[in-house]
Amino acid sequence: MATLSQKQIFKLPSCKRNDWRNALPKKYSDLEEKKIEVDCNDWSFSCRDLKQLINLLENIGIKLDKIYAKRTETVVSASSLGISAQLILPRPDLQESNQSHKDSSAENSEGILFHKGTLRSGEQIEHEGHILVLGDVNPGAQVSATGDVMICGRLMGTAHAGKGGKTSAKIVALQLRPLQLRIANQIARGPEEKPKDGLAEEALIQKGTIVIQPANSNGFCK
Amino acid sequence: MAPNTRIILICSGKGGVGKTTLTANLGIALAQQGVKTAVLDADFGLRNLDLLLGLENRIVYTAQEVLEETCRLDQALVKHKRESNLALLPAGNPRMLDWLKPDDMQRIVSMLAEKFDYVLIDCPAGVEDGFKNAASAAQEAIVITTPEISAVRDADRVIGLLNTKSIKPIQLVLNRVRPKMIASQEMLSVNDVTDILALPLLGLVLEDEQVIVSTNRGEPLTLTGSKSPAARCYGNVARRLQGEDIPLIDPSKEGQSLRDKFRRLMATKIF
Repeated sequence: MATLSQKQIFKLPSCKRNDWRNALPKKYSDLEEKKIEVDCNDWSFSCRDLKQLINLLENIGIKLDKIYAKRTETVVSASSLGISAQLILPRPDLQESNQSHKDSSAENSEGILFHKGTLRSGEQIEHEGHILVLGDVNPGAQVSATGDVMICGRLMGTAHAGKGGKTSAKIVALQLRPLQLRIANQIARGPEEKPKDGLAEEALIQKGTIVIQPANSNGFCK
Repeated sequence: MAPNTRIILICSGKGGVGKTTLTANLGIALAQQGVKTAVLDADFGLRNLDLLLGLENRIVYTAQEVLEETCRLDQALVKHKRESNLALLPAGNPRMLDWLKPDDMQRIVSMLAEKFDYVLIDCPAGVEDGFKNAASAAQEAIVITTPEISAVRDADRVIGLLNTKSIKPIQLVLNRVRPKMIASQEMLSVNDVTDILALPLLGLVLEDEQVIVSTNRGEPLTLTGSKSPAARCYGNVARRLQGEDIPLIDPSKEGQSLRDKFRRLMATKIF
């Protein structure tokens, strides 16, 4: 999180406590920089809400640089407006984590991003950790995660697993027909011929190249 | 605002797939069914809807003058010369492109909603400000696309944007369908398109040369009572929009019946 502290992050109150529009003016005085990042907390923002937020900030001469949010809706609306957005998940309670899993605790804290619904062309989700999509990823949409990508639906867009260099990451989909696959630093084009229906497949790195094979049932335990 | 007015955005993302043609034909077809319909040309930078309806030379004012209160709404509305239930309103002047804001759009649409049963908004191509303005006042949407991957991709993008704006329902019209090319697997099939877009299909429109003829004449196909395939399709779209249950045409059976073959024979110029 060292990179985050260099820029000013502006955290909105929880949606249960206070309306963000009321909270905004109180925080203006804290601002020193011209570019800020906004943490939308648990607000679910539509494009219209985000536009309003951007306009409010622009009126006082501040540019919105990046959005952090706890809700996928906010991330999707932000990326459709062309603002870079990142999902933050509440950290799972570290005390509960088992002692024997100590070496994988770094991964545990990353958490899983769950997105329900179809990702359409131009939409993008990005997450530090694993991503699970319940729905299709249409051509032109992009999913990228530092961990694994699992799609309960058809992957027809672009998926990036292991962003940041994790070569053991994999991409699993009920129908794997991507435009492009990326795992860690490897890039591959999707298969030209359409695979058979009803066969879940996974993509992973074997001997330095991305290969596609029928999904392996014990793949996620490693 | 009259509670029963339906405010429908007609959009596609990609240009040239038939937004304006659909708006014109749908407007005429709805008006023929006796509902008061307004067509609002939100694509005022490159306005064409007036050409298709043959009303180009009757435009005096636009929505801009109405909102600036230099004229009344009735003065700006251009009533169609033959279909009195239909009126056209250009949203702006082609020379002043950036005056329209979403607020203006909402004001003008709520003014239209008091007078009409249907307001059809002809959206500009693209997903930039023009689209956002046009979409800001809509309640429901019709996305039109053709069976080409570029048009389908753009439609998908637009549907994603509409989903963030609480516009419901969003229905699909598939334009320029060529049954022969689908049969020979040279064209995306209807299923291929609905598979990706996952929207209810409001109608299919068959590829038809008569559309070009009617555009150039400024008389939409539905107006002239033409029996051409596209005219039939547009009529069906309008009736489904009104809630009638009309089965979709089956592209694989289209043009196969004896009557169609005979009609084609009669249409061929021998001399």
